[in-house]
Parts: sequence; C-alpha cells; structure tokens
Amino acid sequence: MLSVLALTSMVLLGIASQTTAIVVYTSWERHALVGTDVRLSCSFFSWQWTSPDVTFSWHYRPDGAKDSIAIFHYAGGAPYVDNKGPFRDRLEFVGNPSRRDGSILIKNVDFADNGTFTCDAKNPPDIAGRPSHVRLLVFEKVPVQAGVITGAIIGVVLGLLILIVAIYYLMRFLVARRVFSLSMSKHGKKGKGKEGSQQKQKPKVPLVFISF
Amino acid sequence: MSLFRSSLRVSAVMSIILLIIIMSVCVFPLSVMLILLAAIFILHITCICLLLAATIHNAWWMTDTMSTDIWARWILIGGKWSYTEIPGHYPKEYLQVVQASSVLACIFCILGLFVFVAQLYTIPKGNRFLFTGVFQLLAWLCIMIAASIYTDIFHKDKEQGWYGASFILAWISVCLTFISCITYFTLRKKLA
Repeated sequence: MLSVLALTSMVLLGIASQTTAIVVYTSWERHALVGTDVRLSCSFFSWQWTSPDVTFSWHYRPDGAKDSIAIFHYAGGAPYVDNKGPFRDRLEFVGNPSRRDGSILIKNVDFADNGTFTCDAKNPPDIAGRPSHVRLLVFEKVPVQAGVITGAIIGVVLGLLILIVAIYYLMRFLVARRVFSLSMSKHGKKGKGKEGSQQKQKPKVPLVFISF
Repeated sequence: MSLFRSSLRVSAVMSIILLIIIMSVCVFPLSVMLILLAAIFILHITCICLLLAATIHNAWWMTDTMSTDIWARWILIGGKWSYTEIPGHYPKEYLQVVQASSVLACIFCILGLFVFVAQLYTIPKGNRFLFTGVFQLLAWLCIMIAASIYTDIFHKDKEQGWYGASFILAWISVCLTFISCITYFTLRKKLA
C-alpha cells in the first residue's frame, strides 16, 4: 500500500514538473546562399496559456568562437533589435508572440554570418527549459544533397517503365475487346465457340531451343 | 573484400552446377533443351549476383588503406576499418548518376528474371522472349552507363591506387548482361 502511494506520488510529481517545463523548437540547420534573406524560426510548447510577459531572446555564436552575443530580445510586448553588433540594420523581427512564434529575419547574409543561433523563450510561470540551437551555413552555391539526384533518376525511370507497360497492356486489351466484339456481331454464337476452344490450347511443358 | 570472395564463390558454385548438368547428359538421358534452359537461368542469376555485388560493395577504387565508392569510403585507421563519407571534392552529380544507374541495372535484371519465368508459361509457341530481352537490354544500358561514367570521370588525376573488385565486376556484368540480352532476343519457345 505504501509502495503504491509512493509510486503514484512520484508519477504525479513527474507530471507536475513536466507541466512547468517549456520546450523550445527551432530548425536544426539552415542553408542559405550568399546575399539572400534567411528566416530563423523559433517556437515553443508550454502547458500554460501564453502570458503577456512572454520573452524571446536570440544569441549568436560565430563559428570557432567561444562566447555568444545577444542579438535580439523581445519583452514586455516590444522587440529590441541589436543595433551595435554584426547584425545592425540587418535584423528584423517577423514573429507573432501571441501565437508563440519568435522568428527573426536576417537580411543579406554573408560568409561571416556562419555560426550557431540560440533561441530562448520564456513563458511565465513556465521558465524552466532548454534553449534550442540552429546552425546557419552560408554557401556560394547550394550543394546537391546526397541522394536527391539518385532518387529522382530511379523514380522517373521506374515510373516511365510502369507507365509504358500499363499503356501496352491497355492497348492490347482494347484491341482484343474490339476484335472480339466485331467477331461476335459477325458470327454470333458459332464464332464464340471457336474462339473459346482455340484459347484453351495452353502449353504445359515449356522447353526452348535456339533458332536462327 | 569478403563480399567479393563470396560473389566469386557463388559464381564458382554456379559454374560447377552447369558442369554437373553437362556431364549428366552422358549418364542420364536429359534433353539438350533442358540443359539450355538451365544454362540461361544460371546466366541470368549470375548477372544478378554480379550486379548486386558491384552495386553494394564499396570497392570501385582501392589503395592499401582505403576502399571507396560509390556509396561511402572505408579507411583503415590504426588497424581498424572505419566507415566515412566520400570527400567533398568528388563531382557529386556524376556520383549520384552512377549510383542511380547501377541500382536501376540491378532492378531491371531482377525484374527480367520474373518476366522470363512468366513468359515461359504464357507466350504462344514459336514466339521470342522479347519482353525479357527488353529488360535485360535496359539492365545492360544502365550498367554500361554507370561503368563508363565512373571510368571517365573519377580518379583521372594521378592518384595512387587501383580499380577494385566492384569496378571489375561491373564491367564483367556489362558483358554478361549483353550476352543474356542477345540470348533472349534469339531464343524461340518450343514445346516438348
């Protein structure tokens, strides 16, 4: 009895602690071409209602650096964009905090923007959670992802094959039906009996030989 | 390496079976036609095995410490073989075309086997095995494309190394699928 009580209380405690943990979602990696705009999306899941004091904050850590700098903060209903760091005049807030969306837009990306962006969202009283990272990779030319061309070629060829086989059998079926209906109208029941006996002659023992 | 050996073993076993069947014509009154059927069957199955070995085994190009292509690279580090990615300087589009066409060759060859068995029982007497021949022709084309592109595009600079087992098996499959295709186009079905 005591053990059952202890187990139930532990489970309830587990659920209770779960209900006050916030989960932040971002993409894993973003690929972008030089000079384009990149939208880094950030969303969160929380058991509480979206409070008016919800906060979003973005940090940036360049590739190879140890520390991260803060580039964006949203608090008290107003966004605060970095106007001193590497993203001044290039950062824009495009999210909707009442819909739990804290996405930012970085315009005109360059190779120096390669790095890890961290989004941290807090929804009071739900504040215990882990921030989420998204890695930005800037390319001169978008690389071909492994297996895309392979899959495309195989799919197209097999699709064409199935299409051709289907069309061939359809044509044969239609032609045979037309010939059948034509002979029916000409000979009536006599023709049907002849064709039926002819079709029964199926070969039973298959053997082959080369003929030139 | 072990896959290459096992595929060699499979082909050796099949040729032994062929030899036994040929020898048995002296002992048992087996008709020549049955032997021919068995030989064509075995040729087709050998094609499938070699194609699968060439496609799956990563040994198109080898050095003393490396066995690479077309899916990944095996590197010998500290006495252990480790599975790594193909380096970035490879022309990716050509590599994916080689991958796709060798996989397609395997698919067409396997489908051809089933089509051959189906045609054996359904086509009327005196007809040729055209459908099967078409599948083998497609398989021949695909593996020829794969082997040619690989030979022409990859490892052209004076790298150290030599062409591995899968490369050789791919070119042998080119010949065997061609022979198989010609056989199906000239064969006629005859009743016992």
